[in-house]
Amino acid sequence: MGRKLIHSRQTDRLLAVMLKEPLVWRHGYTLMKQTGLQSGTLYPILVRLCDQGLLEAEWREAENSGKPPRHVYRLTSAGLAFAREQIVPVRRKPDALQGAKA
Amino acid sequence: MTNAPRRPIATALMRHAAGVMPSPEWGAAMQNELEAIEDDRVALNWAIGCVIAGYKERLNAMLQTRYFRSALAFLIVLLALREFFAPLLIFAYRMKYLGLAHFLGLRTAGDDYRRLIPIMDATPSWVILLWAAAGVLYLVALWQMLRRTGASYMLFFLGCVLDLAGVLAIRSIEASTGVTTEPIPMVRLAGFLLTFSVAFVLWRMTSRRMPAVN
Repeated sequence: MGRKLIHSRQTDRLLAVMLKEPLVWRHGYTLMKQTGLQSGTLYPILVRLCDQGLLEAEWREAENSGKPPRHVYRLTSAGLAFAREQIVPVRRKPDALQGAKA
Repeated sequence: MTNAPRRPIATALMRHAAGVMPSPEWGAAMQNELEAIEDDRVALNWAIGCVIAGYKERLNAMLQTRYFRSALAFLIVLLALREFFAPLLIFAYRMKYLGLAHFLGLRTAGDDYRRLIPIMDATPSWVILLWAAAGVLYLVALWQMLRRTGASYMLFFLGCVLDLAGVLAIRSIEASTGVTTEPIPMVRLAGFLLTFSVAFVLWRMTSRRMPAVN
């Protein structure tokens, strides 16, 4: 686990969004809207962060009956610490998180 | 495109994306998300993105297999040996190790090192060093790849640049001596394509590495 971090701007954008309300579970589509990332970019990042234990995912029943269950995601405690460590210094740089929607 | 065909296309694409995704759970996660998207246009964009995500993950899974890494390692060794070939041949010729020069010459176009004597006489030492350095960089990149550290593609790419610089230098020598080391230009081009493809694959392998939690 001691390997050097390679974190992209897109990963930072996702972590920054999740850091705003770290306890909230979010759907993939919600994350796409909040981060402005396309699904082709978002899912590989989600897979990578979940594999590393920075995000946790679980299935939730859909609100509308008849719809299939959906995956939801939130930061783990390790992910929260990691995001705080990575994102806070980035925030000091102007435009570093440009594109991340509020 | 009207709204009517968008949803079936999105559904078909999504089914494909879920099938391509190495993990069935993640495939299902993407697929089920589509059902929650009301807007057909957004759903289609979502599905196209998921196909891309599926292939990215499939490619990355393939790059991490032992067989693929072994094949890549073998290829890098061959590329490194290719870089050492010309320096070794020139060294053998200049130091009068003619048996070795003859042996190596059999592996050149024309099967005879004597055909290349004008070029070997005209090749400056710095070009020989460029090739040797490229070979060393390839081997170090291989070592880094096997250790799964991030610097492998940068070292390999630097080796490619040195190799290219050496080839460009030798081109002018070929023009002045009238002797070509590689009579078929496509072979040289194919060699470069292969080398840069390896650099690209190393970069992809590195970019997929997981972030560390310290």
